[in-house]
Amino acid sequence: MPEPVFELRQVAHQFGQFPALVNINLQIYPGDRVALVGSSGAGKSTLLRLLNGAILPTQGEVWALGRNLSQLRSRQLRQVQRQIGTIHQQFHLVDNLSVIHNVNAGHLGRWSLVKALLSLIIPQEVSTAQAALTQVGIPEKLYTRTDRLSGGQQQRVALARVLVQDPIAILADEPIASLDPELSREVMDLLRDLSQQAGRTLVVSLHDINFARSHCQRIIGLRQGTIIFDAPTEQVSATMITELYSLELSETQGVTRGSLES
Amino acid sequence: MGAIALSLWQSGLFQQELLNPGGWNQFRRFIGASIHPDLSAELLRLTLDASLTTLAYAVCGTVLTIFLGIIGGIFASEVWWRSGVAQSKHSLISPWWLSIRFLLAVPRAIHEMIWGLFFVNLWGLDPLTAVLAIAIPFGAITAKVFSEILDETPRQPLQNLLNSGVAPPIAFIYSLLPQAFLNLLSYSFYRFECSIRSAAVLGIIGAGGLGYQIFLSLQSLQYEQLWTFFYALVVLNGAVDFSSAWLRQKLGCASRLDLNLTQAKRRKYGKDGGNRADGEEFQPQPSTFSPCLALLQTLKSKISPHAILLGISLLLLPFCFWYVRADYRKLWAPRTRQLLTEVVQASFPPDWSIAAQLPWLSVQTVAMAVLAIALAGLGGMVLSFPAAHNFFLPGGLLNRGRQTEIRTLLSWAMLLFVRIFLLFCRAIPAPIWALVVLFVLFPGILPGAIALGIHNLGILGRLKAEVIENLDFRPLEALKTQGAPSSLVFFYGVLPMTLPRFVAYDLYRWEVCMRETVIVGLVGAGGLGRVLTEQLSSFDYRSLVITLGGFIVLTFGIDWISAQMRRSLR
Repeated sequence: MPEPVFELRQVAHQFGQFPALVNINLQIYPGDRVALVGSSGAGKSTLLRLLNGAILPTQGEVWALGRNLSQLRSRQLRQVQRQIGTIHQQFHLVDNLSVIHNVNAGHLGRWSLVKALLSLIIPQEVSTAQAALTQVGIPEKLYTRTDRLSGGQQQRVALARVLVQDPIAILADEPIASLDPELSREVMDLLRDLSQQAGRTLVVSLHDINFARSHCQRIIGLRQGTIIFDAPTEQVSATMITELYSLELSETQGVTRGSLES
Repeated sequence: MGAIALSLWQSGLFQQELLNPGGWNQFRRFIGASIHPDLSAELLRLTLDASLTTLAYAVCGTVLTIFLGIIGGIFASEVWWRSGVAQSKHSLISPWWLSIRFLLAVPRAIHEMIWGLFFVNLWGLDPLTAVLAIAIPFGAITAKVFSEILDETPRQPLQNLLNSGVAPPIAFIYSLLPQAFLNLLSYSFYRFECSIRSAAVLGIIGAGGLGYQIFLSLQSLQYEQLWTFFYALVVLNGAVDFSSAWLRQKLGCASRLDLNLTQAKRRKYGKDGGNRADGEEFQPQPSTFSPCLALLQTLKSKISPHAILLGISLLLLPFCFWYVRADYRKLWAPRTRQLLTEVVQASFPPDWSIAAQLPWLSVQTVAMAVLAIALAGLGGMVLSFPAAHNFFLPGGLLNRGRQTEIRTLLSWAMLLFVRIFLLFCRAIPAPIWALVVLFVLFPGILPGAIALGIHNLGILGRLKAEVIENLDFRPLEALKTQGAPSSLVFFYGVLPMTLPRFVAYDLYRWEVCMRETVIVGLVGAGGLGRVLTEQLSSFDYRSLVITLGGFIVLTFGIDWISAQMRRSLR
């Protein structure tokens, strides 16, 4: 077996008094396409944020690309983070810059300050950005202002940025939650293609279990901060899914409901 | 209300003779001269030169202000330290942040005029004095506002870049700065308007320009010349205000400083995000940030506001710096350092003998500021409605239905008249107003308060008119279509919607008034300001340290009270 891209060893994470994740052990290998499922508040976003080093665990160790993230200095951490691309539900693009700058933001981990500044005036490496936009299907939007694009188009810009960043792993936090079914399929197809082309690892949190089945090889079910199941897609049965959500319903109707929302 | 009554009593309104009957003659001559200003070619040339000097001071001052503001603003913002410090995983607010905030608070508390007098002591009447006297306090104010703008900008894009391993400075330039750009630009324009007014005031201490000429002709009772300079100053101010408003509107940033809107704004951001996520939310918004792209767009769509901005700055900036001819070498000349050390040495040990008077002087100062803002706030509110273009004009909220031509003409005339009146009020510096008021009143804090009040009335009237013009009219329309009469629409709709923002502006200007009491102090209007200016011009640095310390503490106190009151308004 090759070395895992991500590894979590007895990880727990708390926000104040609220335990978001409890005792997580997990290995994700190069080229894996993993779906995280579970209802809101189950800890999917927290898990993804641990993987890209946005937060550090309160207990246990998170290893990414062979490094223990808790023990890195900020410069070393940035070097690891450059190899991990992240996509969000709300895109998190800079609205009033034109598309090219948002796509070029994928270079920023490598560019010098001077080059980054120059690029805001005279866009650099236009051909790379153009190629990335062509790949995600909106080549004509290169110089459009980002906030004039529709939601689906903005998510494509975010994808193009990840393409330019050229990471080893892609994390996607509910990338299709605010898109219609047709756009959702296109974005998921793109994500799968990006992962397959260069053998990139993909970890994506999803609400739609059908997309998890059709686009991923492995599904991890989370509930209240713990892993309920972690299995290859073909072994995940309909009953496992129903239990994941139904159990949750009966439990969350109790006292903890409010706190889970946060 | 109580504060106002107390302040009135303070000012001695009920105690002694206030009116100076001997001055009426002078006053009449002064007013009379307004219809026949001196228009001789020689004086007009002088006027042009003085106007250009004032403009150039303002431009150079603003450029330095923005430069200092950007640097200070970034380092004073919470988000910079959080994003920088978050890397080392100790997300506590750094002591650096606190010390920078404190460092910025001190120059902010001291009025341009005091800085000006101080620099005069250092460098004499060099243009550098005027430019720096504007740039240092304004730079500190701008830094504070810029840091607040940066802190209120949505952070997810920044966080996103940081998480993909981008170094903090680059991440800042690619996410927060472009997002906040419009707000920063809009505030910079506002600062430029302030700089123009400030440049005129600084003229009075001898730095040249229109303020200086006005002061000279007022002293020598040359009223005809005086009015020529007045008109020039009004035109200059009007041109700057107008072009700044026009550019801001073109760029799509309507309001220049949102004091009380933070929450509303946040809500709006959230809503926008949701809308956009739904799909088609195309806004006819202005063009891109990058100047080069802006140039490209000019070719496409004839006139782009960016190109105009770029063109103006390319032409105006070098001209102004050339026109001012400030001797920047003085900044690091050994003589400057020597003089500075002398000043520091001269101010120690502090002379505490003045301290006993401080409480009484502080009360006078606060009374003056309260009176001024009461006058300015009320007057500004009353005048803001006729000054807003969407109220009494045909088709405006309170003027619907069939129009006769005479009524249309009348309403336009009123709008024009009120706007010019407001412009006049704010264009003439407060010390000049004080001198004018002193024709008919005996010196004291009341004339000072009236002078500050008139000046601030001009500013507040305009700010409030802008509030009215940016109102959301849908609730008002709803009231009207219910058949409510105009007066009820006003009391049930307009007033509740505008009053909190009006009061927020009043409180904000109150803070400014506190600092401005210094400049009317210059012409003998009492309070801490008069003592400060006296001590500065007599090089009494040992007492100055104490007075200045007291003044700074007082302004901090007032700022705190005002901030608390504004918070309770939200």
